[in-house]
Amino acid sequence: MSRTLGDDFILPRLTPNNTPFFTAGTIQIQFCEDCGHAQHPPDEICYGCQGTNLSFASCPGTGRVESFARVHHPVHPALKDHVPYVIAIISVDGAPGCSVQGNVIHCPPDRVRIGQRVRAVFEEAVDPDTKQELRIPQWEPDDDA
Amino acid sequence: MRGQAVVVGVGESAYYKHGRSPDTEFQLACTAIRNAAADAGLELDQIDGLISYADQRNSPLRIADALGLGELRWSATPWAGGGNNSSATVHLADAAVCGGHAETVLIFRALAQGQFQRFGSGAGLLSGGAPEGLSWGLPYGLMTPAHECALQTMRWMHDHGVSQEALAAISLASYANAQRNPRAIRYGQPLTREAYHASRWIVEPFHLYDCCMENDGAAALIVTTPERARDLPGRAVPILATAQGMGPEIGITTFQPRWFPGMYYENVGRMIWERSGVGPDDVDVVQFYENFTGPVLMALCEMGFCRPEEVDAFVANGALEGPDARLPFNTSGGNLAEAYIHGLEMVIEAVRQSRGDSTCQVAKVELSLAVGGPGYAPGSAVLFGPAE
Repeated sequence: MSRTLGDDFILPRLTPNNTPFFTAGTIQIQFCEDCGHAQHPPDEICYGCQGTNLSFASCPGTGRVESFARVHHPVHPALKDHVPYVIAIISVDGAPGCSVQGNVIHCPPDRVRIGQRVRAVFEEAVDPDTKQELRIPQWEPDDDA
Repeated sequence: MRGQAVVVGVGESAYYKHGRSPDTEFQLACTAIRNAAADAGLELDQIDGLISYADQRNSPLRIADALGLGELRWSATPWAGGGNNSSATVHLADAAVCGGHAETVLIFRALAQGQFQRFGSGAGLLSGGAPEGLSWGLPYGLMTPAHECALQTMRWMHDHGVSQEALAAISLASYANAQRNPRAIRYGQPLTREAYHASRWIVEPFHLYDCCMENDGAAALIVTTPERARDLPGRAVPILATAQGMGPEIGITTFQPRWFPGMYYENVGRMIWERSGVGPDDVDVVQFYENFTGPVLMALCEMGFCRPEEVDAFVANGALEGPDARLPFNTSGGNLAEAYIHGLEMVIEAVRQSRGDSTCQVAKVELSLAVGGPGYAPGSAVLFGPAE
């Protein structure tokens, strides 16, 4: 699937903390193996128990729109053919207390709602420097919900 | 705190639309500092402390050398951020003076968004990939404070039934008050409700006029002891209480459900009212940093001025406009219509209200509040008493 904001739009610079989220092709959230705490963004220490026994796990890939906003002003020239687009905060099923950022796609911008059920879809990209393959999580209406 | 430190001088450069300043950012900083010292009746070599914002570009050492400051005994900046630092700088000056660490502390902020990049442009963010901290939003075009604050505001309006008219009231008040202020960049350019609603969307729910300007200019204040102030020619404005509020869950996790939506001002309000022994109803005039109008409404509610369900009525019918308003608000025009000097120009306006020399002067000001930029930690506020 091509990218919502253009195939040349900025990609994440991959690090140990963000590589699972942006490459796995599933919604990867960090969990503490000692206390079970889920956290996003991932970090090097558990915010629940301060342990360091952390790992990533796949979540079901569904969620809820906690908030959204239609962006009309193209902050960067690369966005001028893509406005309006919808930015959103999505709470992730299977990861209590965790929300992620993304776009709501495959939905007219004026139909997005707070509380809407959504499911993850993935946009494919290749890092131009490292040639690493990325799968960028995005969100579309979950018509089965 | 409790008047043990006082503001004795304020100064500004001229304020310009971004890119219009004939002076560099460093020259603007030096101008504002010299004007503050002149306002106080102080020589520059009497300054022994320097405070600025976390990300300020003008080296304090270069400032000190260029202006011939005295032996510096105190330097500080608040934690990361932008306009949230505005009143926090006064907190740090208050701590330095009350603690005896320095006697005469200078606070300054300079911005030349023409010389350097504009905050709202996202420039420089699109090469080399998004670093980890920004990677969660940038690939989605979620890249500026306007976007972040829009997401906060949308959910808050949804939860509490707040209308677009409440946002408009903030913008209209700032523009109306700026028409009294010849320093204001929007002086002579009044805003109507129709023009507000007709202006283009930046990111819903923010129209163009819900967003602060981007400007070139500098502002400075000088804080010292009441004892030293007695030897100076001007009127001293006592710092009654200051506060910084952080967390829980600050910085990178600001969209997480336990905290979302929120502006970090419940704790700022709790501290400022506890430390001063007064409450929101006692305050005579307020300056609320407007990065965007929505966060101002949220911060007003979090600090206890009204409940979210009441905010439409609280700000309606010109309740914030002019010196005789029910709550005189952003009386210089604020970040929306006077100038965007990262809110330090609004702290100066709060001091002017206490001294009685605002261009939108409220009668008999005993308590004058300046609130820093909402949405980013640390939030901050300062409450000034009447000039002595």
